[in-house]
Amino acid sequence: MKKLFTIFLFVLLLSMTVNAAADIEITFWTHEDPNRTEIENRYIEEFEQANPGVTIKRVTSGSTEIRELILTAFAAKKGPDIFNMSIEDEYAYIVNERLASVDFEAAGYPSLQAIYDAYISGVLDPATYKGQLYGLPLELTNWCIYLNKKVFRDAGLDPEKDYPKTWEEMVEVSDKIAIREGEILQRRGFDFRYPYHLVSTVPMVEQLGGKLISDDGKTAIVNDEAWFKFLKFMQEWGPSGKNLGSPTYTNARKLFNKDNNDMGMCLTGLYQQGRIRSDNPDFYNSGEWMVIPFPKFENAVKDVPAAYYGHYYMVNGQKPKENQQMAWKFVAYMLSHPEEYLAKVNIVQPTVELMNSETYKSMPYSGVFTDDMAKGHVVYYGENSAKIQSHIEEAIKSVMLAGVSPEDALKTLKRKVQEVLDEG
Amino acid sequence: MSKRIPTYSIERKKARWGWIFVAPTLIFFSLFSFYPIFNALYTSLFKKKLLSLKPPDFIGLDNYIYLLKSPDFWNSMRATVVFTLGTFVPLLIFSLIFAIFIMSRKRFQNFFQIAYYSPAVLSSVVAAVIWLLIFDPRGLGNQWLNLIMNSPGIDHKWLANSIMVQMSTMLVYFWKYVGYFTIIFIVGLASIPQSIYEAAKIDGANDWKNFWYITLPLLKPTTILVSIISMLQCLRTFSTQYLFTQGGAPLAPINVITLNIYHTAIRDHRIGRASAMSIILFVIMLLFTWVQFKSSRADEISY
Repeated sequence: MKKLFTIFLFVLLLSMTVNAAADIEITFWTHEDPNRTEIENRYIEEFEQANPGVTIKRVTSGSTEIRELILTAFAAKKGPDIFNMSIEDEYAYIVNERLASVDFEAAGYPSLQAIYDAYISGVLDPATYKGQLYGLPLELTNWCIYLNKKVFRDAGLDPEKDYPKTWEEMVEVSDKIAIREGEILQRRGFDFRYPYHLVSTVPMVEQLGGKLISDDGKTAIVNDEAWFKFLKFMQEWGPSGKNLGSPTYTNARKLFNKDNNDMGMCLTGLYQQGRIRSDNPDFYNSGEWMVIPFPKFENAVKDVPAAYYGHYYMVNGQKPKENQQMAWKFVAYMLSHPEEYLAKVNIVQPTVELMNSETYKSMPYSGVFTDDMAKGHVVYYGENSAKIQSHIEEAIKSVMLAGVSPEDALKTLKRKVQEVLDEG
Repeated sequence: MSKRIPTYSIERKKARWGWIFVAPTLIFFSLFSFYPIFNALYTSLFKKKLLSLKPPDFIGLDNYIYLLKSPDFWNSMRATVVFTLGTFVPLLIFSLIFAIFIMSRKRFQNFFQIAYYSPAVLSSVVAAVIWLLIFDPRGLGNQWLNLIMNSPGIDHKWLANSIMVQMSTMLVYFWKYVGYFTIIFIVGLASIPQSIYEAAKIDGANDWKNFWYITLPLLKPTTILVSIISMLQCLRTFSTQYLFTQGGAPLAPINVITLNIYHTAIRDHRIGRASAMSIILFVIMLLFTWVQFKSSRADEISY
């Protein structure tokens, strides 16, 4: 009897061990995007069918909240297996060694070099640290200006000829388009994307000859004159200046999709096309919108468009090895559908094959984005890039809204960013 | 030699039961309040990054020294003091006025209580989101005020001016909590024996004298309670300021200590420095509470 019981116990434990080894649950946290959810849920089903015992739990949150959720989860050592954010936010995870490097075999590549060869040159550099690759790009994005032709015509402008090529023209055109009820803007010509300054406003400073960080990485806010001119421009843009826009109004790209005659232009990426299509198919199909390049200042010393940035899929290095391998296998499976991501979500996964494909080239205005990207550079990324970005945001809001002079705002910005650099 | 005989008095038995009843709360507080406080105190002595797996460096009081020299920290102290005074004083005065108003009504007392209290039921985040929509330049805030003031087209810059944005945060907090404190005052007013007012009436006292010489002195314990709770609430304010800055408002005018703690920990990943700031806030709150308790004990009320 005793023997029988021992055998029974042994078989029970063995079966539990075998089941435990076979069952892997992969947690996957990502930002909300209804178009992506639709196709990625299908990829999950397909992957789970092809890999019995594997469960993928996909959890979505808003793009702002997800940064906090992932950070606090990692701080508590409870991070998800897979996550993605913009590289400015992800880089701290790389340098703090919280991630698993890409397992090229699990991802289905013969070597690490084969991954680099599959993507366009330089695009994996931000995710490379000490010779290891820590992420595969979900999307590579740069921003251009979307323009509503109806709003232009309504303001007596010809969208094909009168679209703004310089920031000075942007001010003029926006002033013509703007409809004000007293001091309140009922229709804006254009407005900036205020929290994302590393992507869109630092390049404006670079056009004027300024830099965020010196080449040796030791000095912050290089060329005071350029930064001063930029801050002065933003002050003039705001409610205390020419009153063309403000961070306190509803964000421009949200209004643009609705086509309610309240927004002439907005700054966004190729992915916006997918969102216009789902939010307002009539407007998308009307042909009443177009995309123009990122403007530059009349006296620009450099032709710098908006910086491009990547969202990289990354894998938690604190998870068991088998989870890491399965996570990379799943990431690679999702990323093996770049044409579907482009067609249905309008996001660009920058593989050599996709960038040269007819699908990409035939996307409306993809050429405008490609040309700007060729002239641009990757967004500034570092362990403290999020902090630097919020200091720039503070400086811009202080001149636009809080009555601070550009001189004082520049002094404060310089002190704060320098402190970030010095503290490391 | 006399032998000490243990006494099992009723008092001791009561005390033992007292300890048994209090134990769950003590355990709860130890886990969720005392432990985090001591942990924050310990963490504040280290240079610790939120994401780093390396052991943190012990730096003693450097985080505190840094904060005391930091203009941003002092700006946060200023923002917190301005917000607390600007909110706590009107809260105290108006909740008392509203409570007296409601108590003086013969009808609709319940309706007024529910009407005033209902914003307190909302979460701070929901309240801030509602007010963000109202404060949009094209929102109801400008429309209402322009209608009342007959000033069409004026943008009152609820979030787009350093003074206005501070007033806006105070307004939201006042709106949210005034009903809550009104209810506490109503309870306090209801506990004052009617016989005192009747005696005063026989002596010829009018309503105004009743208020100054009976209501206000006898309401002192409630006033102390409301002032402590409201001041602590104001010092801990966070969601309104956080959501307003997310909604485009400038940071510096409303960068209260809690918001600075959040940014230092979550955005900058400097958990040691954020802990030091939270300990300073804790000490300030402790000090204010102590002062208020001390002053309340000076002459306790008994009917």
